[in-house]
Amino acid sequence: MEPAEAEFLAEKELVTIVPNFSLDRIHLIGGDLGPFNPGLPVEVPVWLAINLKQRQKCRLIPPEWMDVEKLEEIRDQERKEDTFTPMPSPYYMELTKLLLNYASDNIPKADEIRTLVKETWDTRIAKLRLSADSFVRQQEAHAKLDNLTLMEINTTGTFLTQALDHMYKLRTNLQPSESAHSQDF
Amino acid sequence: MFISDCRREFYDVIVSQRVLLLVASDVDALCACKILQALFQCDHVQYTLVPVSGWQELETAFLEHKDQVKLLVKQDDDLDVPTYDDIFRDEEDEEEDSENESDGLEPSEKRRRFEEDVIERTMKRRQRREWEARRREILFDYEQYEYHGTSSAMVMFDLAWIMSKDLNDMLWWAIVGLTDQWVQDKITQMKYVTDIGILQRHVSRHNHRNEDEENSLSIDCMRIAFEYDLRLALYQHWSLYESLCNTSYTSASLKLWSVQGQKRLQEFLADMGLPLRQVKQKFNSMDMSLKENLREMIEESANKFGMKDLRIQTFSIHFGFKNKFSASDIVYATVSLMENIEKEGPETTNFIKALDSLSRGNLDKLHQGLDLAKKQLRAIQQTVASCICTNLVISQGPFLYCSLMEGTPDVKLFSKPVSLCLLSKYLLKSFVCSTKNKRCKLLPLVMAAPMDVERGTVIMVGIPPETESSDKKNFFGRAFEKAADSTNSRTLHNHFDMSIIELKTEDRSKFLDALISLLS
Repeated sequence: MEPAEAEFLAEKELVTIVPNFSLDRIHLIGGDLGPFNPGLPVEVPVWLAINLKQRQKCRLIPPEWMDVEKLEEIRDQERKEDTFTPMPSPYYMELTKLLLNYASDNIPKADEIRTLVKETWDTRIAKLRLSADSFVRQQEAHAKLDNLTLMEINTTGTFLTQALDHMYKLRTNLQPSESAHSQDF
Repeated sequence: MFISDCRREFYDVIVSQRVLLLVASDVDALCACKILQALFQCDHVQYTLVPVSGWQELETAFLEHKDQVKLLVKQDDDLDVPTYDDIFRDEEDEEEDSENESDGLEPSEKRRRFEEDVIERTMKRRQRREWEARRREILFDYEQYEYHGTSSAMVMFDLAWIMSKDLNDMLWWAIVGLTDQWVQDKITQMKYVTDIGILQRHVSRHNHRNEDEENSLSIDCMRIAFEYDLRLALYQHWSLYESLCNTSYTSASLKLWSVQGQKRLQEFLADMGLPLRQVKQKFNSMDMSLKENLREMIEESANKFGMKDLRIQTFSIHFGFKNKFSASDIVYATVSLMENIEKEGPETTNFIKALDSLSRGNLDKLHQGLDLAKKQLRAIQQTVASCICTNLVISQGPFLYCSLMEGTPDVKLFSKPVSLCLLSKYLLKSFVCSTKNKRCKLLPLVMAAPMDVERGTVIMVGIPPETESSDKKNFFGRAFEKAADSTNSRTLHNHFDMSIIELKTEDRSKFLDALISLLS
């Protein structure tokens, strides 16, 4: 899966906005949205929130986990544990990127939040690499990783499975067999 | 079209239609266009953008797109328009024929009525004659001089503000539009200061969060700050030395075309205690200790050397860690992008590039513009220096005249109207400082430069005299028209700014003679 696809899926998450226009309930295929009244917060999917923000029709309210202290706790927790800790949202990385790119003026201390999320991400990716490395070295048959998000899986998923495929083929060709196999894959 | 309520009579009408946007080739018009584009994008209005550089192009574009709906014209100068009632009179007050009504009345009453009617009618006729005389006077005044009113970018920003859709971005474009008027010397100092005051209120409204430590914005957000900054062109993207040499104000006051002037520059720098090596470096690499109080130091020393207005009220924009630009930097960059003589593709690429460079995302275009602007400023200064040293500026009686020869270096740069205007203004400033003739100091300047060598045309520009309290009214538009008429010269008064014309080289001398006799 491409990162763009993961971001597309992330845009379905709900986020709170405060519109400055009024509109009745709109009926979309995925469900109903609204009604929109100026000054009253309403929950909408991220794709709509970003669009409205770009057209200056709303103000975004950051999700409650997007807060400096909470993120600091999460980052410290992640650094302490050897395994993966649960993240506040399965799409935390995509949401951070989207919201901080388009609505950074509505999010207090945006720079620090960006740094904290990046640090947490780096720690988790490092753990993932370590775990993949030990998996290959010890030639395990299966592994179980909890609390990984889609974006993180995407960074190593394709590469890891293809690499394991190649290694398997190389390994089977080492062992002599009755009928000589060709070297083609 | 006269409009009194921008929002109701203008925006609400076009927001539901498809719009044709004709934009003049001027930085102010570009800024107004950007603001309008942003408003259109918010409201999903479909529009077609056509750049025009003169009346003829305006006509052709209009005729091409005639079938499409509403027409919007974006001009670079909003002339100070007299009130509606002074020019147009509603036809309600026509004299009524009251003869027919009095059929059923007695003869004596009829006669009295008739006399009263006659009196009434003569009164009305006299009023109407007076009104028409006044109207002729107003129109004559209006059309005789050419001058600039409020920047159109500011007008557009006002519209956005009234609709509560104003953003920091739009405010920045309004600031650039106003600064363009100031850089090209189109408005008086009073007007500039008043408009800066208006914009400053908007700036503090949008940017008050920058001072709040607790809740400050991300560094990537754009911030505008008011500054009482130095008047040196592009000094933060150049070296201080180059900037001092290539800004018209300093170069004219210090008379940098002469050897004496160069010495005075060295004295000026020594007075401030700035070592030459530091000053010739890129500004960003200068020592921090020198940069700290630079503005105050320069102002003090400048006062001693007769440069009292070295600091000017302006705004600067700041986004990201690296990007800090002053409004005049953007103006110079955009002008040089728009008038880039290197042909890269169809005619409108320069316009589109200049328009793009005003967006914050296109920093590479902006930097390209800054480089071109440096070249342009250098070329202007060298041309000015050579003109003054070789006494190319001659007094023709009612005005000064200077003509650039074909072989002059960088003369191609000056075949474009805005560059030529800038050159003429700088030349006039420098000439006024260099000449001892008191009368010559008060004369306006007519400048000519070769425009297209193959077709044998010359571009000619007339600018008003350089005085302290000048109201920047330019009468050359009318004068050029009359002179061309009287001599049957082949001229093209295509430009929106009527004081810029194209002329065939052969007709130049007779045109000038006619102009001299007209103005003396």
